[in-house]
Amino acid sequence: MRMTTKKAGLVLGICCVALFLALLAGCGGGQSGKTVKIALQAPITGDYAYEGQMAKQSVEVAAELINKAGGLLGKQVEILIVDDASNPKDSALAAQKAVSQKAAAVIGSYGSSVTEPAADIYEKNKIVSVGYGCTAVRLTMDRERKYFFRTCGRDDAQGLFFGKYAVETMGAKRIAIMHDNSTFAKGVADEAMKALEPYVAQGKTEVVYFDAVTPKEKDFSAAVTKLRETKPDVWYFTGYYPEAGLLIRQARDAGLDCPFIGGNAAINDDFVKIAGLDVAAGALMTQEPLVTDVTTDIASQFKALYAEKFKELPSSPWPVYAADALYAIAGAIDKAGKLDSDAIAEAMRGRMEGVQGVTGALLFTDRGDRRDVPYKMYKVDPEGKLVVAGL
Amino acid sequence: MFFDKGRKVSTFIEQLVNGLTVGSFYALVALGYSMVYGVMKLINFAHGDLFALGAYLGYSLLTGATGKITASMGLWGGMAFTAFLVALSVALAGVLVERIAYRPVYPSGRLSLVVSALGMAIFIQNAVMAIWGSRPRAFPASVVPSLRFSLFGIPVTLLQVTILGISFALMLAIWLIVEKSSFGAAVRAAALDRETATLLGIDVRKVIFFVFALGPGLGGVAGLMNGLYYRAISFNMGWNYGLKAFTATILGGIGNIPGAMLGGLILGVVESLLAGYVSGAWKDVFVFILLIAILIFRPRGLLGEKTAEKV
Repeated sequence: MRMTTKKAGLVLGICCVALFLALLAGCGGGQSGKTVKIALQAPITGDYAYEGQMAKQSVEVAAELINKAGGLLGKQVEILIVDDASNPKDSALAAQKAVSQKAAAVIGSYGSSVTEPAADIYEKNKIVSVGYGCTAVRLTMDRERKYFFRTCGRDDAQGLFFGKYAVETMGAKRIAIMHDNSTFAKGVADEAMKALEPYVAQGKTEVVYFDAVTPKEKDFSAAVTKLRETKPDVWYFTGYYPEAGLLIRQARDAGLDCPFIGGNAAINDDFVKIAGLDVAAGALMTQEPLVTDVTTDIASQFKALYAEKFKELPSSPWPVYAADALYAIAGAIDKAGKLDSDAIAEAMRGRMEGVQGVTGALLFTDRGDRRDVPYKMYKVDPEGKLVVAGL
Repeated sequence: MFFDKGRKVSTFIEQLVNGLTVGSFYALVALGYSMVYGVMKLINFAHGDLFALGAYLGYSLLTGATGKITASMGLWGGMAFTAFLVALSVALAGVLVERIAYRPVYPSGRLSLVVSALGMAIFIQNAVMAIWGSRPRAFPASVVPSLRFSLFGIPVTLLQVTILGISFALMLAIWLIVEKSSFGAAVRAAALDRETATLLGIDVRKVIFFVFALGPGLGGVAGLMNGLYYRAISFNMGWNYGLKAFTATILGGIGNIPGAMLGGLILGVVESLLAGYVSGAWKDVFVFILLIAILIFRPRGLLGEKTAEKV
């Protein structure tokens, strides 16, 4: 009897250990079940809720297209939404939530200063994250992150594009640059300034104004009156659309008539509404191409399904980069053949040939930046729609 | 840095007018803070968000189905009707805020009141976001014709002149009510010493009702004018104006009604001159240095809170 009890105890003990190990393995593997969980971290509420909502819709459309084509590794893609409210503090919480829900990879986020704390958390937890609207140079250049990538371009590319266009295409002799002190806007403004340095050295142009306005304010009349006194040929504002709309209208009211060029967050249909069509028409914008001007195969499928589900296509370029982040993750998982973060990151860096997204080929540098992001100069036409102005 | 060579005097005057327009918004909102503080010794943090509520109510009245009704009354008639309805509804909201969030916690002390006020501010802001959405709304261009003209060589808009006119008229009216009418005397008495005022037969409850209707009513109209002037409104606009108006209140002397008006106008002009002649990026830094300096050298503000002589 004694022996058998002991034996029974031993068997029970072994069972327990085995069960424990099995549980551990289950946890380590993360993704058990029938779906592949990919998280989208975006500003679903907060100041840029509109952008976040469009990103959510775009990712849902991309996920549906991927699932229709057979899913990922034979499983369906499931999108988890975590909301960072476009706020660095909430961003860390959102990232923790995505980690605790065992996302295989993360898309996000929109703003650079919001993405930074989240990227650190994903890095620590060894989860691949792919930013879609965060364009600050420092995200990839100040610090080496193994698991961070982005599908959007960098501020220096946009600043360089502006400098070249303003001097060589428009022939501007007096350039005004205005930002709003946010990481993003100041980044683009600084890069534009850097891009102009060689032209200034050659005496081809000069920067007559470089200052910031305070975001969320409504009255910029003092700033635009000062700006008018510097008599600029062209005025580049690198901040966001609520301020851009107010600025251009107050500038026109104060009698400043020079061409207005917005950075890629300055112009969308709300900009046109706030500024008023009479004032907004003719405003220019440096930006990655809008989805309406992209003609890849995936883009046409994406546009068709998006229009069917949500009627209007995304009015800013960023949501599409969120969809492309999902295509990049899906492509890398497919190439890696498993849901292991190291294998996914390795595939993202070197084995993405043939992986296509809405905006074209999805290739990344060793630092995680996307290769060959195109820029275009857009213009608000007399009906208030954005059309390609050139280059 | 001020008055560089080549800067025209007209630009300076233009910056002054710019500053006065912003300042008159600050002043109208500051009045509400100051009146409530005078009587309740409470900083009504929800006041800035009542200002935003006024802007949104005005937006709803001037657009969509109700927009047709207001448009049928003509420009001035429609505006007056809208302003009246906005003032009435925001005044009602102000009274409700007092009933729901302040009166029940009044006996438990000032800390509870402040927390309750902060909670109310968050509640109103999020309610506005839930009802009207998180995207900024734009007043349609058709509502307000933009008439530009030159006044002594300074480019101004008809709207700017009208807003300045209405703001000053409202401020004058409040000043007259508080300083000259018998009800104003009751308000001032309640502000000086609530208990003694009660002993003297002043119905302090009525006084509180009055300040919580009048302050938010004014704030609501200011919100409407703000929306019409800048055409863009956002659910979180109240925070910024609330903060600046609160600064203006302290600048002029909290609890002092002419002080609130003066503080608002000074703040607007200083901001505008700093952005115009120094640097837009450093504007708020200097504004708050000014505030701290005033608090150090004149702790009761420019005009000073009226204090009773204790004999």
